[in-house]
Amino acid sequence: MTFRVDRRQFLMGSTALLAAGAFSPVLAQDSSLRLLFWGSQARADRTYGVTDLYTKAGGPAIEGEFLAWNDYWPKLATQTAGGNAPDVIQMDYRYIVEYANRVAIAPMDDFVGSALELADFDADQLEGGKVDGKLYGISLGANSVALMINTADFEKAGIPVPGPTTTYADLPAMAEAFKAAGIEKKVIADGSGSEPMFENWLRQRGKALYTADGKLAWEAADATEWFTMWADFRAKGVCVSAEDQALDTGPLETTMLTLGKAAVIPSNSNQLVAFQAINQDKLTISNFPRIAADAPGGHYRKPSMFFSIGGTAANKEEAAKLINFFVTSKEASLVLGVERGIPCSAGVREALAPTLDEQSQTALNFVANLGDLLGKLPPSPPAKAGEIDASLFRTLSQEVAFGARTPEDAGAALFTGANDILSRAA
Amino acid sequence: MTARSMSTSTVSSQRAVNNAWWSRAWTNNAPGYLFLLPWLIGFLGLTIGPIISSFYLSFTNFDLLTPPRWIGADNYIRMFTNDPKFVASIRVTLFFVVFSVPLKLAFALGVALLLNRGMRGLPLYRALFYLPSLLGASVAIAILWRQLFAGDGLVNQVLANFGIEGPSWISNPRYSLWTLIILSIWQFGSPMIIFLAGLRQIPQDMYEAASLDGASKSRMFWKITLPLLTPVVFFNAIIQTIEAFKSFTPAFIISGGTGNPINSTLFYTLYLFQEAFGYFRMGYASALAWFLLLLVAAFTAFSFLTSKYWVHYDE
Repeated sequence: MTFRVDRRQFLMGSTALLAAGAFSPVLAQDSSLRLLFWGSQARADRTYGVTDLYTKAGGPAIEGEFLAWNDYWPKLATQTAGGNAPDVIQMDYRYIVEYANRVAIAPMDDFVGSALELADFDADQLEGGKVDGKLYGISLGANSVALMINTADFEKAGIPVPGPTTTYADLPAMAEAFKAAGIEKKVIADGSGSEPMFENWLRQRGKALYTADGKLAWEAADATEWFTMWADFRAKGVCVSAEDQALDTGPLETTMLTLGKAAVIPSNSNQLVAFQAINQDKLTISNFPRIAADAPGGHYRKPSMFFSIGGTAANKEEAAKLINFFVTSKEASLVLGVERGIPCSAGVREALAPTLDEQSQTALNFVANLGDLLGKLPPSPPAKAGEIDASLFRTLSQEVAFGARTPEDAGAALFTGANDILSRAA
Repeated sequence: MTARSMSTSTVSSQRAVNNAWWSRAWTNNAPGYLFLLPWLIGFLGLTIGPIISSFYLSFTNFDLLTPPRWIGADNYIRMFTNDPKFVASIRVTLFFVVFSVPLKLAFALGVALLLNRGMRGLPLYRALFYLPSLLGASVAIAILWRQLFAGDGLVNQVLANFGIEGPSWISNPRYSLWTLIILSIWQFGSPMIIFLAGLRQIPQDMYEAASLDGASKSRMFWKITLPLLTPVVFFNAIIQTIEAFKSFTPAFIISGGTGNPINSTLFYTLYLFQEAFGYFRMGYASALAWFLLLLVAAFTAFSFLTSKYWVHYDE
């Protein structure tokens, strides 16, 4: 948890606190905006770079705060419950419906055309931020799931990095090449507990995680086959051991890639920037492996994250103006780069493209050129999806990995367990 | 007129007496209450208030964003009939309590006995051994533990010198809970200090008498030291048991808040936290909290009831 308070701000803050005791109405007049987001230090540096620009250009002061993903949602929920929600809230596709339905974030349709200049904004990204036809979130960038790849390992093994035609069946041969070259790390992390990877695999089979009305869109047999495939990889030493995979608790620092246990991990295209910042070897991204050379890719372009306006924000127009600066200002985009995904405004993209370094260019090209890998955006998941992922799917994948369950057993348990969670009243 | 003034004066003199009692009490105690005020406000507002409201919330469905909805005893019913994770977390917590508390107390007593032999520099050692207890529940120590017991951590590097290839202790469900138990034992400082104080109170003449009778060291320990120390053991056991039930930070940091691998470090408090702040079921989490209170109370009551059979008070 990091608060961005330097000494000057602290002094000002404590003075303000003293003053607030005496003249509390003064606080109500305070025009500063509060911004809450999740992410890494790399994201925070860029975000604060933009808020500094905004304040310097005559905008109000911005009080930013950022947390890791796991800590972010409890914090936001508590602040919202306390009637103390930030003015500008970073929002995810998984939660936007829930927050919108509870009026914890405000619709922005009134500001479109005035505070929000979205004329050249990608239509599909704008659509992704709508709930029941009203605009609740402005996409901060488009991204897609992607394999994060350490190129140095593949160079050493003398084989090409995974590419658009790589299939799951190709992975064991790569593991052989790794072994032959004396590389101790495994080819890939254990993806059996990665919900995005399971979803992509299902989509390639013409299925999906959830139907539009929030039911499971797959069978127990699919899950069994999924767990069996990974059990096979584990036995052959293609993916990392159960013990190693269990070290991954979420943050980029504990992933198999950063810990040096595997050369490839499932991730997101926009995270190339953040991963490169903490990894020395050169990284690149590619699509998830296919189930067969001629299978559809199963990828989709999704809004990586949104900015939303707090439902209780005192000055919603000021908040909208700040969001507008983030997504339409070319100056801001030069600071932000593609760390939150590919910018959705055509004008911004045009200004940004020539200034990008090689890595950012890779991320941009990847999302722009998904081609036949691209499918349509799935409906937003049911509210319980997060619980199914965290408390059921990942635990079952570990139970199979440690040999506490057979893949058949885990497939059936996942199906019935997920249905149980979906059917349980809130 | 006179009668009336008489009666008023009686009343007023009675009131004066009352006033005098009140004001005397007030003048006597006001400074005390005034000094107490910051704590009192905190106690009522930050402790008693939330406790009462959590009792109410335990009978509701509350997701933080919408107002609580009364659902009667449903939370408690779900807890006991349809929640495998609740059962798993109880099992993990009881395992932790049953192993960490006696081991920690035994270790603390052992160190206290060593330090009680009147060595030089005792205050220094006492402070050094107490240090881990001060750092114990902190995030930094939990992170350090993660590093020590990881697959390529210090513990395995040491083991490698003896030709042993250790597993990744923290991420293997067979050992992960034991690393937390070891962490808890390592924080033996506060029971040790109390044991040390208890040992000092055992009269020396008993040992002298025993050695005159030719009692061995171990016999003296079992027949004199331990029986006379039982009140202190009892106190430490109660305190440490409650602490163990409440243990949260190490498991939270070491497992990244998940309680994994395979829920092997899913402490009761960690599960409660997940329900509250992971899935926003504040009502259910409140019910869990009240059950924990009952559980700890039951354990403590049991200890007190059995204490008369093994705790010897010096009478």
